[in-house]
Amino acid sequence: MHPQIAAFPRLGLDNTPPVRALEGQKTLISRTMHGFAYDEPRDEIIVTSPLAQAVLVFRGGANGEEAPIRVIQGPHTLIRANPYGANSLVSIDQVNNEIYLGVIPDAILVFDLTANGDVAPKRILKGIDGSVAVDAVHNLLLINTNKGMMIYDRLASGDAKPKAIIAGPKSGMGRINTFQVYAPKGLIIAGGTDKPGGTTSFVGAWSINDNGDIPPLFKIPVQRLTGYGPNSIAIDPAHKEMIMVTAGGSGRVRPTRNIMNAIVTFSWPEVF
Amino acid sequence: MRRMNGPGGRGGKVLAGTAVAGLCLLGAVAGHRLWMNSGSARVVSIEEIEDGDACIRPARMESENLFSAFDTPSVHAQDANTVDVNRPPVRELLDTAPIFSSVGVDNVRNEVYLQDSNLWSIRVYGRTDNAKPGEGATEPRRIISGDNSQIQFNSCVWVDPGSGDIYSVENDTGDSVVVFPNKATGDPKPLRKLHVTHRAQSLALDPATGDLYLSVQYPPQVAIYNKTADGEDKPIRLIEGPKTNLSDVHGLALDTRNKLLYLNSWGNISDHLIAGSGHFVDPSIEVFHTDANGDVAPLRVISGPKTQLDWPGAMSIDPDNGDLYVANDVGQSILVFHGNDQGDVAPYRVIKGPKTHLSYPTGVFVDAKNKELWATSLGNSSATVYPLTATGDVPPIRMIRGAEEGKQSSRFGKTQAIVYDSKRDEVLVPN
Repeated sequence: MHPQIAAFPRLGLDNTPPVRALEGQKTLISRTMHGFAYDEPRDEIIVTSPLAQAVLVFRGGANGEEAPIRVIQGPHTLIRANPYGANSLVSIDQVNNEIYLGVIPDAILVFDLTANGDVAPKRILKGIDGSVAVDAVHNLLLINTNKGMMIYDRLASGDAKPKAIIAGPKSGMGRINTFQVYAPKGLIIAGGTDKPGGTTSFVGAWSINDNGDIPPLFKIPVQRLTGYGPNSIAIDPAHKEMIMVTAGGSGRVRPTRNIMNAIVTFSWPEVF
Repeated sequence: MRRMNGPGGRGGKVLAGTAVAGLCLLGAVAGHRLWMNSGSARVVSIEEIEDGDACIRPARMESENLFSAFDTPSVHAQDANTVDVNRPPVRELLDTAPIFSSVGVDNVRNEVYLQDSNLWSIRVYGRTDNAKPGEGATEPRRIISGDNSQIQFNSCVWVDPGSGDIYSVENDTGDSVVVFPNKATGDPKPLRKLHVTHRAQSLALDPATGDLYLSVQYPPQVAIYNKTADGEDKPIRLIEGPKTNLSDVHGLALDTRNKLLYLNSWGNISDHLIAGSGHFVDPSIEVFHTDANGDVAPLRVISGPKTQLDWPGAMSIDPDNGDLYVANDVGQSILVFHGNDQGDVAPYRVIKGPKTHLSYPTGVFVDAKNKELWATSLGNSSATVYPLTATGDVPPIRMIRGAEEGKQSSRFGKTQAIVYDSKRDEVLVPN
């Protein structure tokens, strides 16, 4: 349908309309944008255009039918997907100027943050696929495989193995949809359910030093509190808030308000 | 030892205000970026510093020190207690109105069906309902919604004029076409639920043949089923492959009199089997014979800057003259092409402008019996009706409102990602 990227005021409440939106043919965006990034230092938006195997970079203040300022796409990029999934999750390392892109079936591609055109990845981590976050303070690369959190050295490549794995029934990492790393406190902040099809969604905080079947340090039972489960989260350390967006209840359980799309913000001073 | 430059730095070697747990965030030094924002600590660069130029370590247990080696065991015991944080949210931003993506008109029973992807519903109104200025939302006659109905992020609703059966396409989480009897209301189980390819978008029925045509965005294809298909029934035939010119397919329309099938493509192309094969082309409309099968070239293609195509959505045919009507989402217009147009051709009529009340129109339907044109707008939760011959900036002759007058919709489709833009204090949310 209408794959806009809409901007809302952080303090917006019900029925607040978007203040701007990236949309239209010239933007080159398409559906299945499941994870993307805002690069604060450069004031840029980084997002994938999965159906065209591309990574798009926009001005931070882009609005309307505005073309991207850079496009990574072409045979050298090795970007691919499959008929059901897609290269839908992109993340960045603002400190070391890198873009991370998980591609199906089993690789993490790393590009320079300023890459443009048909460029080869600078590193490839093989044998794993998932969403990525980088802890540049502790030089860690974290990958959520939907079965557990794999923790690598930041520069891991080739067939490198994880140095730690957080997984198991106590960990709650059985079906994580989304995560961020808050490096100043060494915390992994992740949301989902403890098992596929689970209906008790939560957002938890683990230490980057965890290894094994370790429960979270903190947990917000978001579905019990709101009826919604997290499809994606953002963190806002300045205001000590965690913001989650949802599209339908977790496990397709109808949320209390019977409205499927929602942006829900929690105060979480304990982790910031 | 490493030194980190962050937004919390104040220049020189100072502790950042929010650095905690053994971390020492130092301010930027000459020759490196100094970046200030709203006061949070966020690392933007890391550099080596000389011995002795280390930050002050708070006295913490080694196991709690985040600079400790990561090869050591976890800092948390297996039986560590989780702290539950049971505060309710501080804010919620929802659009409380239905957001209409598609329209189907039953001109036999004089009812209109509007597909809503925000509240997961199909809303049924009288065909001649009309929200006058100053009035609130139009009250639907019936609503189909609920777990049993399996209506989710549905993108298309279609009414079989013969049986009155209601067909609805799920575009993302359900991968299905569900069928309800004509007077279905509440939370009914569908008569049939056909499992279809992921990213199905639009459908139309050929009453003469009983064929159901279903467009799929990606990998792009048209799947043709019998309209009674159910469960895991397979398509009778598929139109797919590189010769078809199809890409990110959305709208689909049937000209049963001339046996033509119209599809539109957004131009987002890749072969999922080949890494790096992605590219972009202009949006287009492909015209096939209704009997087309396999990897076949279209009979005609409409594409180019004169067409004004900009995220084309639903399409509908006037069966009396073959005119093609296109809901032109970001173009904020309804485009009308002649049935035999091809190449870079301008629409011969365009309905567009502030009087039309069109706002991100994605649904369109030609009611040939009543010589009316229907459109749905994502941007204002409305459906509007025009004379079939309308052109230019014309006001609708009737309107159904899903929300109050003047509503500015969020245009939410399926919100699955979010980032925080600290520079503008905004959250960015894609559909």
